[in-house]
Amino acid sequence: MFSVLPVLLVVSSLQANQPIILTQKAVEVELTPRSPNQMGAFYEARGFPKEVRAVLAKQCYITIGILNKSKQTLWFDLKDWTFSVDGKKIKRQHRDYWQARWKEMGLAQSKRSTFRWTLIPEHLDYLPGEKEGGNIILPFTEKMITVDAKFATGENKQGEPVFIHYDKLYCAQDKPE
Amino acid sequence: MRKIFLILFFWSMVNTAYAEIDLPFGIRHYDIGQAKNFELEDVDGEKFSLDETRGQWVFLHFWASWCGPCRQEMPTIQKLIELMSADKLKFVLVNMAEDEDEIFTFMSTIDIEIDSLLDSDGLVTEAWKPRGLPTTFLINPQGQVKYQAIGGRDWTQPEYIKFLRFLLKPAP
Repeated sequence: MFSVLPVLLVVSSLQANQPIILTQKAVEVELTPRSPNQMGAFYEARGFPKEVRAVLAKQCYITIGILNKSKQTLWFDLKDWTFSVDGKKIKRQHRDYWQARWKEMGLAQSKRSTFRWTLIPEHLDYLPGEKEGGNIILPFTEKMITVDAKFATGENKQGEPVFIHYDKLYCAQDKPE
Repeated sequence: MRKIFLILFFWSMVNTAYAEIDLPFGIRHYDIGQAKNFELEDVDGEKFSLDETRGQWVFLHFWASWCGPCRQEMPTIQKLIELMSADKLKFVLVNMAEDEDEIFTFMSTIDIEIDSLLDSDGLVTEAWKPRGLPTTFLINPQGQVKYQAIGGRDWTQPEYIKFLRFLLKPAP
């Protein structure tokens, strides 16, 4: 199975940052910060206009990959993920926000669709052994970001929840030329 | 009484046969009812309507050239099409919101030749709501969606071919 990160972009031609891998008995979470240039190159190649790329260049991209290592269903819901800096929550923009913003900026439907498919869905269920992922977008910060996540488990979400905590997530930046 | 027994016997045989399908990894039951029809053109401008595929199993695949797993999976789909050329499985590929140049460039890079429909504005893909790209739906001859294959895979692996051939077998 080579699959497994549907919606994972082809950005391999650019130097990727090392993924941060958080492993627990039931789940493995992979967080890969992507720099504005990495993402900008991808969107430029897809014909996204300059104005849209300028907005995107100011964001913080994290590619998330989640592997269900348990023998039961694992439930991912971005509502159960919080991101904070210096103890204060930072707001991750929902995919609907971006769709509305792009529409307002006159971005073509085809580009809006492409953009949407690069983001991880708001919620997913993972059967044992499944791995899927996609991007989230946070406001850019030079400080360390703390991420707290909760996964429900079991067919009816009645199982013991799984928690993830990591306090050294960061926004990737491009090196000055 | 004997008639009732025979009916029950055959009914249980039919159900047993379907119950014995081992779903290969990454394929899920996905009984969402009737497949939503769509009409799209392929890269040669030929019109296609999903409703025209009634009467056979359909392998409906959504992809884009910018998605890594799609790129890895595509050669295995070409190989699968060749391996199953004698089977009655209709392959329908839908490219999500790319233009012909992007598709041709990608296809020539990996040296494959597969016809794909163009979902130029991405709206058919949006309507079908795959979990991500790539995603494959398997639609039965009655036009009902039955399975969803999430993510990419090597479709030439024996478990996938066995599974697809099992679907194509006439009901006992």
